[in-house]
Amino acid sequence: MTKPYEPLKIEGLDIEPTVCARCGFCTFVCPAYLDTLWDSQSPRGKLYQLRDLIKNKKKIPADFAARIFNCTLCGACQEICQTNIPLLRFWQLTREEIGNLEEWPEIVNYIDTALQETQNIMEMDQDDRTLWTDMVDDLVEKRTGIKAEVAYFAGCNISFKGTLAHLGENTIKVMDAAGVDFTILGSEEFCCGNPYFVAGGFDKARELAMHNLAALKELGVKTVVFNCPGCHRAFAEEYPHLLGKDSVEGLEFLPFSEFTLRLLKEGKIKFTKNYPHTVAWHDPCELGRHQNIYNPAREVLNAIPGLKLREMKHARNKARCCGGGGLLKGTNPMMSVRISGRRVEEAEKTGAEFIASECPSCTMSFNDGIEHKNSKMKFKDLSQIVVEALGL
Amino acid sequence: MLRKQHFQKLADIVGEDYFSAEGYMTHLYSHDIAALPGIVNDVLNPHAEAIAQPTTSEVVSNLLKYCKENNIQVVPRGHGTSGYGGALPTKGGLVVEMTRMNEIYNIDKGSMTIEVGAGIIWGKLLELLEDEGLSAAAYPSSAPSSTVGGWIAAGGSGIGSTKYGGIREQVVELEVVLPDGEIIRTSQSEDSVFNEGKTKPFFGGDDSFYWESEESSAPNKESTSLFVDSNGTLGIITKVVMKVIPLRKIKPLTISFPNKEQTMGAMQAILRITQPFYLHFITDEFFGMLKEVGKAPDVAGEWLVLCALEGTDEENDEVAGKIAEAMAMYHGTVESDEIGHHEWDERFYPMRIKRLGPSLAPSEVYVPLERMVDFIDHCYKHFKGERMAMEGAVNHRNEVAVLTWFLDDERRRIPFLFGWYRSLDVINIGIKNGGRAYSIGMWNVAHSRKFYGKEDYTKMAKLKQRTDSKNYLNSHKVFPGPLYLSTRIGLLIMFAAAFVVPIVIMFAWWLAPSVVAAYVPWVVVNDIASFLLWFIVGLGVGFVVQEFANLIPISVVLSIGLPFLRLGRKIFH
Ligand SMILES: Cc1cc2nc3c(=O)[nH]c(=O)nc-3n(C[C@H](O)[C@H](O)[C@H](O)COP(=O)(O)OP(=O)(O)OC[C@H]3O[C@@H](n4cnc5c(N)ncnc54)[C@H](O)[C@@H]3O)c2cc1C
Ligand code: SF4
Ligand code: SF4
Repeated sequence: MTKPYEPLKIEGLDIEPTVCARCGFCTFVCPAYLDTLWDSQSPRGKLYQLRDLIKNKKKIPADFAARIFNCTLCGACQEICQTNIPLLRFWQLTREEIGNLEEWPEIVNYIDTALQETQNIMEMDQDDRTLWTDMVDDLVEKRTGIKAEVAYFAGCNISFKGTLAHLGENTIKVMDAAGVDFTILGSEEFCCGNPYFVAGGFDKARELAMHNLAALKELGVKTVVFNCPGCHRAFAEEYPHLLGKDSVEGLEFLPFSEFTLRLLKEGKIKFTKNYPHTVAWHDPCELGRHQNIYNPAREVLNAIPGLKLREMKHARNKARCCGGGGLLKGTNPMMSVRISGRRVEEAEKTGAEFIASECPSCTMSFNDGIEHKNSKMKFKDLSQIVVEALGL
Repeated sequence: MLRKQHFQKLADIVGEDYFSAEGYMTHLYSHDIAALPGIVNDVLNPHAEAIAQPTTSEVVSNLLKYCKENNIQVVPRGHGTSGYGGALPTKGGLVVEMTRMNEIYNIDKGSMTIEVGAGIIWGKLLELLEDEGLSAAAYPSSAPSSTVGGWIAAGGSGIGSTKYGGIREQVVELEVVLPDGEIIRTSQSEDSVFNEGKTKPFFGGDDSFYWESEESSAPNKESTSLFVDSNGTLGIITKVVMKVIPLRKIKPLTISFPNKEQTMGAMQAILRITQPFYLHFITDEFFGMLKEVGKAPDVAGEWLVLCALEGTDEENDEVAGKIAEAMAMYHGTVESDEIGHHEWDERFYPMRIKRLGPSLAPSEVYVPLERMVDFIDHCYKHFKGERMAMEGAVNHRNEVAVLTWFLDDERRRIPFLFGWYRSLDVINIGIKNGGRAYSIGMWNVAHSRKFYGKEDYTKMAKLKQRTDSKNYLNSHKVFPGPLYLSTRIGLLIMFAAAFVVPIVIMFAWWLAPSVVAAYVPWVVVNDIASFLLWFIVGLGVGFVVQEFANLIPISVVLSIGLPFLRLGRKIFH
């Protein structure tokens, strides 16, 4: 049994609700607040409530625990915060506290069980990890578990959800076209642990992280490529936090955009075909605000002849969330769709044909949001645009 | 006190989704940005009993009408970003939160005015105006979260005010729901609103959401301006017609200086050259604190002036050149463009240093620019040993809106309580140096008459009397109202008295038995029965005391308490 608010106390963050100036800057950027316009859903409101609970050494009540999970962990609150509160970490640790109180939402418990039993969030057999490769069977057939310097890490969503398999296929096609010698882990690819990091179940992610790093190192991998910013952030930020910096030494982790940009710069791929489309770019929170990676995708898009890049009113560090993060899709699917719908509306204002991003979670959210809003826009993942522009 | 039937009726009026009386929710709407010392919080006990988020003026009207009839206290609220106590529900009741009235109704590029819902957030408004090639002439540094109506009601100056004046100067006309539910446009003559009452209201307020509109006459400046700064005591502002300006380039200059004399001299010199969009300074001590939180730029001097010019690139460059030339005389260093832009972006972040507290005791007062050096010296002397950050922004009348922040720690309850005097003293020092209170809210009611001027104050009081004689709309704000002790504190006083009375009697018998025996021999405590008797008498005394305390205006309590707070702080600091 841990002491009350121990996760926050250990990192010295239990003071932050008192540091909060209650200025409310975080409210009008918070997708959860904007969805309801009630302060109980805003970062300011949640901090105010936590301040009293921490001060009075009271537990987080169940209804409040549920509201804490009404949050996409988009990090917009941290970005704008008047008093520089590290809110992302703060919310994660508060979720850990909720886990310690055994008040995690049902969906988190479900994922937890699935991960413990199957090492993936879908409760599927790990042998089915390569289902996504069906359409590119010929390109990966001899690559599973081979030694290579570059590895592609698909992640659970792309691996098991048929509607997202194309992201993985696209990346493989690009690698193949560029003549990259790569490997995939196959059934040795375990969940990256992102759901645990998001839900504050850090210790539970330890084994998954150690396994994945060991598997990659065993194959002599130096560069790991991701379509999923959640997986990328788990490797690049959470693993060193959890296991120490040494654990990731000798490894570099690249999102698809950065990897593609490198291939472009090295002349291994080249856009020659005209791609006459306008694209509104959406920065995925876990790459943008969480890791400050904004430019590679834009550089790739700008390198495509004919493509017109449009920026939304809220772009880069001010980008609004697609509604897909923080497990919100599981904890409050309706809120998630409404948030996504709002972002679609913003994209519509640019007059672009496509909304684009690089993220399986954004892909799902935007497809839901487009349907919800009856929008004429289409969503395309960056990998799809690249493959189409290369004519692969 | 709200009762069950009230909750249902209020929810019916505003709509179920826009009403809440849940405990956790009301708690969140019972504060503003100021952290109150524990005992002050206990005494004043701000506690909303329900929140309503109206969506139309008619709903506001019906809410007010119902609340007036049922004697329910109402407190208007924007987004709770002020710190003057104006939005605190000190007598419980209903908080009417305006953020859902956030539409832009009209943009008139001919007259360069817009009409918006009072609950629109400045930040959103600025974004939408930008799309139209327009901007607000002045906006508060709380723009990312404060409402247009909230700033009008609280009053003040902000970014843009050096050139264009404060919010008062921007407001052209308001739609206000008076406490009796009547909806008026302030374009009506001042007489009709403030003296006689309007003969034919736009909307008299009823429960069936009936709305009848009428052509408005030409704006009447005076009637409009009497609602500005009125802190939601005269009515709830629902719509705002205000001036806008064309969107022009901003060129921010950051100039650093070695000391206050050069800083203040240079600011006056800048104003002789031009009226910049925004002219703002921070003291070296503030700079030091920013350094501690990693937000200070790398500059030559530690007194910083931000001077933002507004115009075309050519105009701005020309003026910037003149300013740069003039600064040499004041040992000023014009810092790089990068630093200029950094400071401009930081204009929304006056409270970065709060982390060092982790609490801040704020205060704000207007001081004439030419008296600033004296004012600063006076403050330094008066608050020796305190960590005080000071900043100031010049308005169009060459007054500096000075903001002081004292680092404090609300977890240290006693020093934090006593430290409260500083906020009040800054205002007094400002006034001694030719200044005036910044905003009234609740904490500054003692300055009300002087702040509004006798004539305006009388007009406002008359309107209040006519439309809200029971003072149900935002009582205690602007017009001094009595303390309203919480039941907890009331009981505490009664029981304290109940114990004190018999103990004092026993003590008197022990100290001077002959005197007591000679004059009041029947006043005696020598067994359980007599103890109980005098205990009950004590309860009665306590009751009278707390009722009497309930009659004392907060302003008087503050004035009486101030010397004690000062002394206490000296002892406990
Ligand atoms: C970071 C920061 C920066 C700030 N910068 C400035 C600044 O530059 N200049 C400045 O003057 N102030 C500033 N303030 C103070 C505050 O933001 C302003 O007073 C603000 O405009 C208040 O708006 P609000 O919507 O939060 O109103 P609230 O704080 O909710 O309310 C303020 C007062 O107005 C009343 N009220 C609110 N809405 C209405 C309405 N529609 N009708 C009638 N009455 C109403 C309330 O009852 C209360 O008395 C700052 C505050 C912060 C936290
Ligand atoms: S992380 Fe995003 S959703 Fe969560 S509280 Fe912050 S702004 Fe809101
Ligand atoms: S922006 Fe930061 S300081 Fe302001 S209310 Fe939100 S969390 Fe608190």
